[in-house]
Amino acid sequence: MYVEVTNLKKSYGEGGSYVEVLKGVSVGVEQGEMCVIQGTSGSGKSTLLNCIGGLDDIDSGSCKVDGLEIAGLKKDRLSDYRRDTLGFVFQFYNLVPNLTVRENIEVCRYLTKDPLDMDELLETLGLKEHADKFPSQLSGGQQQRTAIARALIKNPKLLLCDEPTGALDSKTSRDILILLEKINEKYGTTMLIVTHNNSIKNMVHRVIFLKDGEIAKQYTNEKRVPARELEDL
Amino acid sequence: MQKVLRKRVFRSLRKHFIRYAMLGAMIALGIFLVVTIVGSAETLTRGTEEMANETNLEDGEFEVFVPLTGAEKQHIADMGITLEEQFYFDQQMEKEKDGTIRLFRVREKINKLHLVEGEIPAENNELAIEKRYAQEHGLHTGDVLDIAGTSCKISGIAVTSDYDGPFKEVSDTSCNSKLFGPAFMTEEAYQDFKTSGKTQKSETYLYTYKLGGGKTDQDLKDYLKDLKIEASEVEDPLFTEYWDRTGGVEDKLRDAVRDLRDATDEVADATEELSDHNGDIQDGTGKIMDAYLKSTENTLKGYGMNVELSEANYERELDRLAKAAGNPVLAASLSQVKEELDDLKDYKDGIKEYTDGVEELGDGVKEMADGVEELDDSVNDALDEFDFSLSNLTSFLKASDNQRIFATKNDKVVDIEVGLIAGAIIFILLAYVISVFVVHSIESESSIIGTLYSMGVTKNDLLLHYISLPVVVTFLSGLIGLLAASTGVLAPMIAESSYQYFSIAEFAFTIPKYLWIYSMVCPPVMAVIVNVLVISSKLNQTALSLIRNDVKQKATKGMKLKGKSFVAAFRIRQMIRELRSTAAVVLGMFLSLMVFMIGVDCYILCSNIAKDYAKDTKFAYMYTLKYPEKEPPAGAHEAYAYTCKKEAMGFNFDVTILGLTQEDPYFDVKPGKSKTEVVISSAMAEKYGLKKGEEFILTDEEKEVKYAFSVKDIAKYASGFYVFMDIDVMRDMMGETSDYYNVLFSDKSIDIDPGRLYSVTSREDVVKGSEVFSSLMMPMIYTLSFSSAIIFCVVLYLMMKVMIDRSAQNISLIKVFGYRRREIRKLYLDGNFYTISVGALIVLPLSKKLMNMMFPFMISNVACGMNVETPFVFYIVAFLVIIALYFVINTLLVRRLDRYSPAEILKNRE
Repeated sequence: MYVEVTNLKKSYGEGGSYVEVLKGVSVGVEQGEMCVIQGTSGSGKSTLLNCIGGLDDIDSGSCKVDGLEIAGLKKDRLSDYRRDTLGFVFQFYNLVPNLTVRENIEVCRYLTKDPLDMDELLETLGLKEHADKFPSQLSGGQQQRTAIARALIKNPKLLLCDEPTGALDSKTSRDILILLEKINEKYGTTMLIVTHNNSIKNMVHRVIFLKDGEIAKQYTNEKRVPARELEDL
Repeated sequence: MQKVLRKRVFRSLRKHFIRYAMLGAMIALGIFLVVTIVGSAETLTRGTEEMANETNLEDGEFEVFVPLTGAEKQHIADMGITLEEQFYFDQQMEKEKDGTIRLFRVREKINKLHLVEGEIPAENNELAIEKRYAQEHGLHTGDVLDIAGTSCKISGIAVTSDYDGPFKEVSDTSCNSKLFGPAFMTEEAYQDFKTSGKTQKSETYLYTYKLGGGKTDQDLKDYLKDLKIEASEVEDPLFTEYWDRTGGVEDKLRDAVRDLRDATDEVADATEELSDHNGDIQDGTGKIMDAYLKSTENTLKGYGMNVELSEANYERELDRLAKAAGNPVLAASLSQVKEELDDLKDYKDGIKEYTDGVEELGDGVKEMADGVEELDDSVNDALDEFDFSLSNLTSFLKASDNQRIFATKNDKVVDIEVGLIAGAIIFILLAYVISVFVVHSIESESSIIGTLYSMGVTKNDLLLHYISLPVVVTFLSGLIGLLAASTGVLAPMIAESSYQYFSIAEFAFTIPKYLWIYSMVCPPVMAVIVNVLVISSKLNQTALSLIRNDVKQKATKGMKLKGKSFVAAFRIRQMIRELRSTAAVVLGMFLSLMVFMIGVDCYILCSNIAKDYAKDTKFAYMYTLKYPEKEPPAGAHEAYAYTCKKEAMGFNFDVTILGLTQEDPYFDVKPGKSKTEVVISSAMAEKYGLKKGEEFILTDEEKEVKYAFSVKDIAKYASGFYVFMDIDVMRDMMGETSDYYNVLFSDKSIDIDPGRLYSVTSREDVVKGSEVFSSLMMPMIYTLSFSSAIIFCVVLYLMMKVMIDRSAQNISLIKVFGYRRREIRKLYLDGNFYTISVGALIVLPLSKKLMNMMFPFMISNVACGMNVETPFVFYIVAFLVIIALYFVINTLLVRRLDRYSPAEILKNRE
């Protein structure tokens, strides 16, 4: 397994405000797979993503990515892990507002010695003509594409997407999903996508349902639906 | 609503505790600094004023040649003016190092003693000694002091308001309590001493006065000037010798002219008498001639020669008779008679010439007598034009012109001015820092404000909510600063130098009311104003715009930076984004440097004064003479000094016109021969802002005359305000004799009778006097420099922290991408290096320049030049210190970067 989570537990707060968000979750994702993590609000899907991404501490259990145990890593090693392995895409894009599209992408390009070709990436993501625009001059879809480009520029092995279409309309959502599918095919990037959207599960290799901090269901799609054919986005 | 919102206030305080703590600390420190410096100066000022009231400080004093008569004193009393005799003797102590004691009687009405320990002397063998002299000589109550062989027990240590600055002479440049101090004894003891024969100098007849009856100093002075005395009444032999050479020549001149007139009259009378006998002489001579002719006729008749001889024909008739005689003996006798008659005739002609001459002499003598009469009248008229009468008044000094009086208060004017200006700058700095905080806080709260606003919370509620915390924090900080200052913890250090120099009582540190208002009212008012302005402007936006925080979005637009490396472009973007914070850092740096520059300018001025005074004072001794000898002593260079006044920034300073010989070796000045084009000292040029070619006027208050000059050149001379002229030109201008002088300069000590001197100033005195500036101002300089350095660090820290806080989201974001601390520092902190560097390069010289412009106003009461020229190395060192401080703060702030966890980005959105 490329991503191998075993009996992962995570809680917040103390005493009366103690909440156990993940109650011994175990999941596995193969390299090159697109995986959707679904669940209701508070089910622990974003927490799981954050733990895999090394953004949050793990109380107990194991989380290995490409054989590297994330749990217990020190801050610097976690930074190295994120730098070398991960790409992040957020619901609200989180672009640096005072940097242009190109400069936002360069934020991550700076971190790798072997980045993807900037112009090719801009071309691929349809951002070439917007390269020198600031985020505030872009639509939501263009901003999200910029965020994806930023995540991809260092050619990460694992792309973590937290509600990538959550702030987008149906058409733009489809465009983004088509893009992610294309990237997965082109670069073989493993993807973990946290989403509320029930349709997205049809386009990915693996689907994980979380409920109250536990795996409610997980399965592999025998027959994937291409993103452009997804309904009810 | 407020109740609910109030909960947020406490949470906000907890959340931003460091920020508020730092802000509060800065306010408290600023207030502490201002209140301590100004309060300390005000304490001394008010203390000396209160002591002046308590001891009935004089309105002025004057000295006379001979004590006033009872009638004169009564007249002055009738004018409503209170007088007190404060006669004194200067007594050199047995050991030279113990200097001179000025012995007074205990005062009863004016300038009364304020005891700092012990009692007023009651017995004849007791005296009270001045505090500073006692301190310098380790004297205490009960100790015994030997004065002229008499043992005097010290009954008390005292200060008097007329010796607040214990200068020996009013014209001295500095006090030296090791070598001078007043002492006070009973009336009886004073009289005993006076008649003991142990006095070394003649008694000085000093009177102090308190005005009343609506009379002014000038009224009293006018009256005193008209009190004439006979020179013979003055006991001082040196005066008598001087008077005989100067003012005393009037009588001699009048007598001499009168003698001349009398003598001329006598000559005229004698000549007239001589002339009166001219006729008799001529008649007598005619008769002798006639008698001789008659005698000759009779003799010739005896020889048978009848002839009638006259003065006109005797020559011809005698020649005829001699030819006709045919007898050689007779012819020879006739020839001899003719010769005798010729001689007689010559004599008669001579007598005629003589009497004519006597007539002419008579006319001439008459003319001479008329001329001498005219000379006599003219000389008398001329002498009447000058006042050669001897006024009893030798000096008259209003309290305001007496540097001994309120010396402490006058010195503290600078501290107050400096403290208040520092306070004003700190005030602006605080307002600015608060405004940056408020803007940052309101921007970060924009969506909350928008939400509350959209829910119907009123503007007033919001204002009240957001104002409350800064107001409370600023109020409490001001109060803490004030209370800390009110403990007087630092005040003794600030005041110590004054207590070690001036002769004043110890005053308890008090804070004037206006500083209480400044401390407690200004900071919260400032916070209210800034908050109201910022929040009101914020609430002018729509609720939706607030929720979206549109302002922040607008700030994202900027320039295109193609071709720049990623790091460079990122830093530039960051700087543009944080332009306001960048400006805040630079402005904060500028304002705190302004406070720092006050201390720097004080230090540089003091240091330059000490350096320049030592360098410019080339003479070893300067003797100011009361009664100069006719010829300057060997080895000394004479000069002529005359003191006038010139006003600068509301203060009237002494300016000395100094007449120098062309070969004077002690001044690097080449005064021309012009009465109007003069060379001035650099100190004067700096103080009055005079440049070459400019004109200025000096006022002679004594003679009520104004002198207009133009600046021909400026000579490098720091120790005093001088107008240099050629001595002969000056003598002529001032109507003095061609050999007059009243100052001597020399490179070694000269033996001059002390009775001839007003004062002796050595180079050492000048240098020591210049160092007094430093020692008096140093505590304030240290306090200002130290505090401003702290304020600078706090401002820099706070502003840089604000910059980082504003980037918290982005820092979290790039942490998510895997940026390490070093890289984040490079992107978000290291860029500040350029801001600080460039900012420092701009604000360092700018703040210095501005302070140089403001500084003269701060020390407007100080009679010194304004040389605040700063060596370039200062700027280099200051720049390096700023950069070093930046690195320290940067290192401290790096730790803050760890506080932003990557997960933050998942909770918030930009």
